[in-house]
Amino acid sequence: MATVEQIRPDTRAVPTIARPRGTHEAVLLAITYVLIAIGAAAVLVPFLWMVSTSLKGEDRLFIYPPEWIPNPIRWVNYREAWQALPFDRFLLNTMFMTVLAMLAEIFTASMVAYGFARFRFPWRNTLFILLLSTMMLPGILTLIPKFVMWRELDRIDTFTPMTVGAWFAWGPSYIFLLRQFFLGVPREIEEAAILDGANTFQIYWQIMLPLVKPALLAIGVLSFQGNWNNFEGPLIYLNTLEKYPMVLGLQFFGESLSREAPKYHYMMAMSTLMAAPILALFFFAQRYFIEGLTVGAVKG
Amino acid sequence: MLGWYTRTVYDYLAVGAGVIVLMLVMHKVLRRFGVNREAATGYSLIVPWILGFLIWNLGPFMASFYLSLTEYNVLQAPTFIGFDNYIEMFTDDPNFWRVIRFTLLYSVINVPLGVVGALLTATLLNQDIRGMGTWRTIYYLPAVLPVAATALLWRWMFEGNGLINFFLKPILGLMDRDPPSWFTDASLALPAYIIMGLWGVFGANTVILLAGLKGIPRDLYDAATIDGAGRVSKYFNITIPMLSPTLFYVLIIGVIASLQTFTQAFFIDHSRRAGTFMNVYIYQQAFERFHMGYAAALGWVMLVIILLFTLLVFKSSPAWVYYEGERAA
Repeated sequence: MATVEQIRPDTRAVPTIARPRGTHEAVLLAITYVLIAIGAAAVLVPFLWMVSTSLKGEDRLFIYPPEWIPNPIRWVNYREAWQALPFDRFLLNTMFMTVLAMLAEIFTASMVAYGFARFRFPWRNTLFILLLSTMMLPGILTLIPKFVMWRELDRIDTFTPMTVGAWFAWGPSYIFLLRQFFLGVPREIEEAAILDGANTFQIYWQIMLPLVKPALLAIGVLSFQGNWNNFEGPLIYLNTLEKYPMVLGLQFFGESLSREAPKYHYMMAMSTLMAAPILALFFFAQRYFIEGLTVGAVKG
Repeated sequence: MLGWYTRTVYDYLAVGAGVIVLMLVMHKVLRRFGVNREAATGYSLIVPWILGFLIWNLGPFMASFYLSLTEYNVLQAPTFIGFDNYIEMFTDDPNFWRVIRFTLLYSVINVPLGVVGALLTATLLNQDIRGMGTWRTIYYLPAVLPVAATALLWRWMFEGNGLINFFLKPILGLMDRDPPSWFTDASLALPAYIIMGLWGVFGANTVILLAGLKGIPRDLYDAATIDGAGRVSKYFNITIPMLSPTLFYVLIIGVIASLQTFTQAFFIDHSRRAGTFMNVYIYQQAFERFHMGYAAALGWVMLVIILLFTLLVFKSSPAWVYYEGERAA
C-alpha cells in the first residue's frame, strides 16, 4: 500500500551530517533552546491554568498568589458542572450532528476531488477556480438567506441545517486537499483496473480511496474538529435548550449562569472536557492534523 | 424526544439519496446528449459540489444582495428600499464605524504579528535541535483547543485578579497603576483579543511554515556556503525567497480568517464601548433585532473588505513572492 511518503516524497529533509561545533555555534544553540523553551512555556502555562482552575473550589479561585496545584483537589467540580445543565444530552446532540455531517462530508468531498483530479471535461479548471474562490465568501453573507430558506422549509430548531448540507461537499479546502493526493497516484494503477473490467465506482471505492487513506484521515480529523466545535449553526438554528450541542451549553454557562459571580472552576472543567476528545485525537493522529494543515501551503 | 433525531435522520437520508440519484441521472443525460464517457463521469462526480455551489453559495449570495436593498424582519415580506441600508450605515450608524475600526485594527495588528512570530519560531525549530517533534506538538496545541474553550480560558486569565495581571504586577507597580480588567476596559479589550488571537493562531502558522522550511532543498545552502555566504545572507537570500509562497498562503488565510472572527465574542462579555467584530455586529442586527435587510447590507460591506484585503496581498505578491521555475531559464 502506498503511504504519504511514497506519494509525496519531496518534503522529507535530508539527514544532517554531524559537524564539529565551535564555541560560537554552541552559544547560538543555547540561545535557540532558551527561546524555544520560553515560547513553549507561553503556550503551556494557559493550558495548565485551565486544568488547575477546573479542580479548584470556588473560594480558592481568586487567592493571591495563584495556586497552581489546588488544595484540596476537587474532582467533584466535573460532576457538578456536568449536572448543572443537561450535558448528557448536549454530548449526545454533538455526537449525533458530528457523525452525520462527517460521513456525508468525507464521502462527497472525496468523490468531487476524484472527479476534478482524474477526468477531463470542458470548464474543469474554471469550475475548480470557482470552487477555491468560495473560500473567500464570508459565511455570514449567505447565512441570512440560508436561515430564511430553512425557515420556509420548517426546519428551524431541528438538527437538519447542521447535517444535511454536508451532502453537498461543503468545505472547499477538503476537496483541494484530496485532489492533491489523487493527483499523486500513478495513472497506471487505474489503467490496470480498467483493463480488468472495473467500473468507475469500483475504481474509486476499492482502489483510489484506500490509496489516499492518509488524506482521508487528515480531512477526517479536520472535519471532526470543525463539526465538534461548530458554534454558528447551532446558535442560529436551535432554540430548545435540550437540543444544544456542547459548545452552546458552554456558552450558556458563561453567559447566563455566570452573570453575578462567574463560576470559572465549572467553566474550565467543561472547557477541559470539551477539549479532551480533540486533544486525545491529536495525540494519536498528530501526523494527520499536520498533513491536513500543510498540504495546501507547501507546493500550493 | 426521539422524534427530534429521527426527523433529521429522514431528512439526511432523503437528501443523500437525492444527491446520488442526481449523479446517476446526470451521467445518463450527458451520455444521451453525446458527451464522451470520461467527461460525463467527471461531471457526475462533481454533481454534489455543483448543487452545493448553486444552493449554498450562488443562490444565497444573490438573495442576500436583494435583501440588502430591502427592509425585512422575517415575519413580513421584504419591502424594497433601494440603497437606503447602505446610506444609513455610512451616515447614520455610529456603531458601524466603531465596528469597522475594531475589526480592521484587530486584523491589521494580529495577522502580521502572527506571521512574523511564527516565522521566527519556525526558524528556531528548524535548527539542528533535539526533540523537534515534541516542541512542534507543544506549539500546535492551542490550535487544537476549541475556540470556545480558548475564549473562556482567556476571559478568565484577563480578569481583574486573573493570571495575566498577576504576572504584570511588578510592571504595574512600577507604573503605579491598578490592575486593569482587560475585556471590560474599552481601551484594553482590543489588545486582549489580539493577544488571545495570537496565542491561538501562532502554532498553526508555525507548523505550516516549518513544513515549508523543511521543503527547501539543502543543496541550495551548500552551494551558497561554497560561495562564502554567511548565515544572515543565506537566510535573506535563500530561506525567505524560497519560503515566500508559504508565507503568502499563511498571510491570505490569516487575513480571511481574522476578519471573520466571530465565536470568541460570544464567550467574552467585553466592553461595548470598544466596538465589536463585524460578523458579531451582523449577527446582532439579523438575529437579535431582526434587521435582516440591514444585516445583509453589512454582509456585503464585509465581502468588499475581504476582497480588498485579499487583492492587496495578491497585487503585492509579485514584489515579494518567488515561485521556483517562474524565473528559471
